Amino acid sequence: MILLTHNMLASPMKEASKQLHLKIECEEKVEKEQEYNADFLNRMIERIDWNSFCAAAQSLDVGNGLPESKEQVDSSNEEQMKKIHHALMEVDVVKGSLVCTETGRKFPIAAGIPNMLLNQDEL
Amino acid sequence: MEGLVPASGAFDADKFEDEHVHGVYDAIARHFSHTRYKPWPRVASFLQSLEDGALVADVGCGNGKYLQVNPKVLMMGSDRSRGLVECCQGMGHDVCLADNLMLPYRSDSFDAAISIAVIHHLSTEERRAAAVREILRILKRGGQALIYNWAMEQQGRRKGFTQQDNFIPWQLQDKFAGGTGQLVMVYNRYYHLFVEGESEKLMELAGGNEIVDSFYDHENWCVVIRKL
Repeated sequence: MILLTHNMLASPMKEASKQLHLKIECEEKVEKEQEYNADFLNRMIERIDWNSFCAAAQSLDVGNGLPESKEQVDSSNEEQMKKIHHALMEVDVVKGSLVCTETGRKFPIAAGIPNMLLNQDEL
Repeated sequence: MEGLVPASGAFDADKFEDEHVHGVYDAIARHFSHTRYKPWPRVASFLQSLEDGALVADVGCGNGKYLQVNPKVLMMGSDRSRGLVECCQGMGHDVCLADNLMLPYRSDSFDAAISIAVIHHLSTEERRAAAVREILRILKRGGQALIYNWAMEQQGRRKGFTQQDNFIPWQLQDKFAGGTGQLVMVYNRYYHLFVEGESEKLMELAGGNEIVDSFYDHENWCVVIRKL
């Protein structure tokens, strides 16, 4: 799971607000190169929740050098854009958990795939 | 197969679908994926018609054949079958394991969604409507969803259905399950086949949407809806 995906996820628990982001508990991450596409990246920056992205990037130790707010993103600064690209698209959490901050329910990530299924008694 | 899904009385839909849908897809995933590689043109053109940078959910993405049709949009794939999401992961797509009835996405956030041959695997009308409502939940107002379901009236290889609730056999060549290639195992998948007009009725039952288009394609009844 990359952070771009994480930014769109919310807890599927019925008690949850379906708005808040999940907390990442990372046990293992890998870095994988993704093609840099400035146009696509700009469009993704427009749509992500920046605070959530930065907090998630910090928790994975890839938050250094990221602008503190979306307004500070300078799309002509290629060095800064490549840092954003790296944190958003190239760091893959392959093992760990996603934690619903409203209920404490943990959703395991194994082989890079978050398991967001609920148990019978949670339906 | 009379009374596959009882009209009333005790029926555990979760357990039934686990056994006759999710369990089957896990078992046949590799072989199934091998046969599902070509995107249907009308689904592809729906995806290509979206604005660059659009956020799109592929709910029940199967082996992920629609995840790379339009590289200018962000596709979020999910499926209920672990075997199938592993096929997507193998092709480099970031996907998650999730249930159509409880999607792990933020509300009012997607520009579009596709549901291709998925809702027909749910065994009651109320669950099929709930699946549509959950897709509508994640869409932004004005966001569109393209929904395909297998038709009862199909005239191709599998023509001649006489009832809507059916087990459709999948002949699994055992070479896809680590065997020698000599044996064929049969798995029965549950389908609720849609009749003409049923998609429109289901969208009305789900509520909160209007129909933009409806048509017949590749033996499926299809609708495009817009979230109100």
